[in-house]
Amino acid sequence: MQFNWKIGGEAGFGIMTSGLAFAKIATRSGYLIFDYTEYPSLIRGGHNTYEVLVSDEVVKSPKWEIDLLVCLNNDTYKLHSDRLTDKSMLIYDPHVFVPEIGIKIPITFGKIKRDEKIDQMMMNTIAVGASIGILGGDLSIFEEILHQQFDRKGKEVVNFNLKLAKIGYDEALKNNIKPLSILKKKDIIDPQMVITGNEAFALGAMVADCRYYAAYPMTPASTVLSILASWQYKNKMVVRHIEDEISAVNTALGASYAGVRSSVGSSGGGFALMVEGLSYAGIAEIPLVVLLAMRSGPATGMPTWTEQGDLLFAVHAGHGEFPKIVLTPGDPEEMIALTLKAFDLADIYQTPVILITDKFLSESHSSLSKKLEDAALEKHKIDRGKIVNDTKETPYLRYLDTKDGVSPMLIPGKKGTYYQANSYEHIEDSHTTEDLKERVKQVDKRSKKNTTYLKNHFELPKIIGDLNTAEIVFVSFGSMKGPIVDAMKLIKTKSAYIHFTHVYPLAEELVQQIFARCVGKRMILVENNSTAQFGQLLRMQTGIIFKEKLLKYDGRPIWPEEILLYVDDNTRSVVEEKNDTKIKAKVLSEDFRKKEKEIMDKLVAEMSVE
Amino acid sequence: MTELKFDGYAATWCPGCGDWGIRVGIKAALEQLAFDPSQVFLSFDIGCSGNMNDFLNGYATHGLHGRAIPTAIGMKIANHKMTTIVIGGDGGIYGEGGNHFLHACRGNHDITVIVHDNMVYGLTTGQVAPTAGKGYRSKSTPHGIIEVPVNPLALALTQGATFVSQSFAGDARTTIDVIKKAVNHKGFSLVNILQPCVTFNKINTYQYYLKNTYHLEDSHNRSNLGKAVEKSLEVNAGKFPIGVLYQTERPSFHEELEQLDSPLVDRPRFSDFSSFTNEFI
Repeated sequence: MQFNWKIGGEAGFGIMTSGLAFAKIATRSGYLIFDYTEYPSLIRGGHNTYEVLVSDEVVKSPKWEIDLLVCLNNDTYKLHSDRLTDKSMLIYDPHVFVPEIGIKIPITFGKIKRDEKIDQMMMNTIAVGASIGILGGDLSIFEEILHQQFDRKGKEVVNFNLKLAKIGYDEALKNNIKPLSILKKKDIIDPQMVITGNEAFALGAMVADCRYYAAYPMTPASTVLSILASWQYKNKMVVRHIEDEISAVNTALGASYAGVRSSVGSSGGGFALMVEGLSYAGIAEIPLVVLLAMRSGPATGMPTWTEQGDLLFAVHAGHGEFPKIVLTPGDPEEMIALTLKAFDLADIYQTPVILITDKFLSESHSSLSKKLEDAALEKHKIDRGKIVNDTKETPYLRYLDTKDGVSPMLIPGKKGTYYQANSYEHIEDSHTTEDLKERVKQVDKRSKKNTTYLKNHFELPKIIGDLNTAEIVFVSFGSMKGPIVDAMKLIKTKSAYIHFTHVYPLAEELVQQIFARCVGKRMILVENNSTAQFGQLLRMQTGIIFKEKLLKYDGRPIWPEEILLYVDDNTRSVVEEKNDTKIKAKVLSEDFRKKEKEIMDKLVAEMSVE
Repeated sequence: MTELKFDGYAATWCPGCGDWGIRVGIKAALEQLAFDPSQVFLSFDIGCSGNMNDFLNGYATHGLHGRAIPTAIGMKIANHKMTTIVIGGDGGIYGEGGNHFLHACRGNHDITVIVHDNMVYGLTTGQVAPTAGKGYRSKSTPHGIIEVPVNPLALALTQGATFVSQSFAGDARTTIDVIKKAVNHKGFSLVNILQPCVTFNKINTYQYYLKNTYHLEDSHNRSNLGKAVEKSLEVNAGKFPIGVLYQTERPSFHEELEQLDSPLVDRPRFSDFSSFTNEFI
């Protein structure tokens, strides 16, 4: 079962609150959800929407056709008529407009508003009550949510909202409509968290023992700041809304130098201001985790819309040459896991780690089993690599040349010694130098971290589906995971998806081996940008080239149905031919695992491990 | 264990540069206050002033131009038991990092900011600095600077700094004394040090400052903000008061953070996660 509920109205109508309430009603009734919101960069006016896809199975992207549309104004109907069918249900006020298609469920919002003397903000409570009625849901779950939402505002406010929910519920059933069993409460319910990518980052950062987070508000990264700020007295993290992103990154580097795990977050514009700081982190070898939540650019662009347009910017961010790790989680579950890993990697390699998300992942909720996540978070152990509290060395060699490129890092404060985090090139004891040999030694030391990372912590892309039998292979990164995975269920031809989460640096030969298995298949690169940035990155690092690209850059995510349409349009089909491939590696004549092991052994040998 | 010394490498400043005197002032102040290099955080800006990183020992950052204040604030928040000192120039602190300076005053972060104010950019060969007088001619302003100078003392006073002082690099006794008071002060302290650049600034020389500086009278009321602002404006008449202009008490930034009952770096790891995952049900 899949059911797509959507509510729309003017900004300021409480669309976001009621949408989240509906999502939680669904999960508390035993279903899984994915939700998606659209809103303009305005506080009042403009059109806001919130859609919740309810399902018995895992869903990871929105669905095009709407099953129930709640129209709090006429615009909602007009703007969504292309997503309605004869079977779509519509809740609307018959005194405002009458829809031409779909199953009509009139509710006299205007009359209720006058009778009950309420303002527009409260219409959404009636609408959610009505939706529960039609979908056969349990009104008491909504009542519980209203209690959680309004109890602190006093009994009167709570009771009034409860009354409105009941009015909506009764009104909907008055129309001789037999309730459906879409939201029928299940007998066994595994409690689900309803969580966005940003919330997943915040949770991951806390569990990873991040103790300092600084940011300047910028959509779509702002909610990380507000969530962490609201938690800080309870979990003792220091969270700062600071004067600018330059200060954010430099205070974080100061705190990190002093020994605490630190992080900053922003969107493209704010990230641009942090770039010089990344370079400092690179040479002074200071751990730092940066969250980059992309939106449609360039410059101010379209602040509340999505795009994967900053990938190459992030990969190349920072002047000069220094190691950097870029990770691109595809959903909240991966966001939690990769956030935990990012803080470890930043410490282990003493260098910046960038986690990339976008508006689509940052602000869309998914359901995640609380039991499973709690268990995973509980058992997470922190790895600080070579960061230590004590040393017997004098003078202390902060930038000691080592085989793996990583030097021991003493947390300052230890009596009897000292050192600097120097942004100038330096010798091993951290004093400034311009000596040519010392320069080369330190550059080589830092770049050895790349090799160590590729050997110890790089992860190959996840292959979703069966690559051996697939005729169509999708390739992408980050938030495109959801739409692609859901599209694969719609596509009749056998397909697979190569999902990259560790996008930079890439282990050239290992990645080539995966693509060597794809010869003769139809390869489609899917990206939410106009220049196929991941394709460029893949070509740069591995020589792999794509002929077929599905690119979208109108500020909206890619819908699974769009992928289906693209695939079915045979005029576009290009099959990767054996002689055509630019992949250096030969087609596999033996088992892939065996080859993988060989390459690993070679890497290990090259490293001559300590 | 051998006793740690603040003296690092031999300095490379021009002979006669005011920076020599400032380094001696900082070192003497820290020694007289019985610190050793492992007990202080030093955040050096970039420039001739920041090059003190190799000449003065301590747990130090030598970060980015203009960013020594935010770097120091991060260090202090992470480990507030460490005495934290910023060492920078007028370009980094009042120009490139001007925004950070005023917000650090507002926040009353418990750091001491020591500014080498020589009205030029020494390390980049003598371009005008934001504290230079209107009309100052330099390589980058051959026809004279159009802007009027930044008034660092007035700026600090009006943005909420709780300790505002000025010294002169040629006056070692006052420099040591003011730095000691600034380091002992709880909250944001500014020590603006008038520093002749013997190579590039032929106007604001030792002679110039000997003539135009004067010690604040014993009768000067340090707790009177209005009087302090008045004193800070005397620069418009070519007069430079030396000493502590203003000092008041206000909880410093880290003291206002309820979660910092112990230094952030020392506290145990937080582990009650399930109460947070509950919020999402």
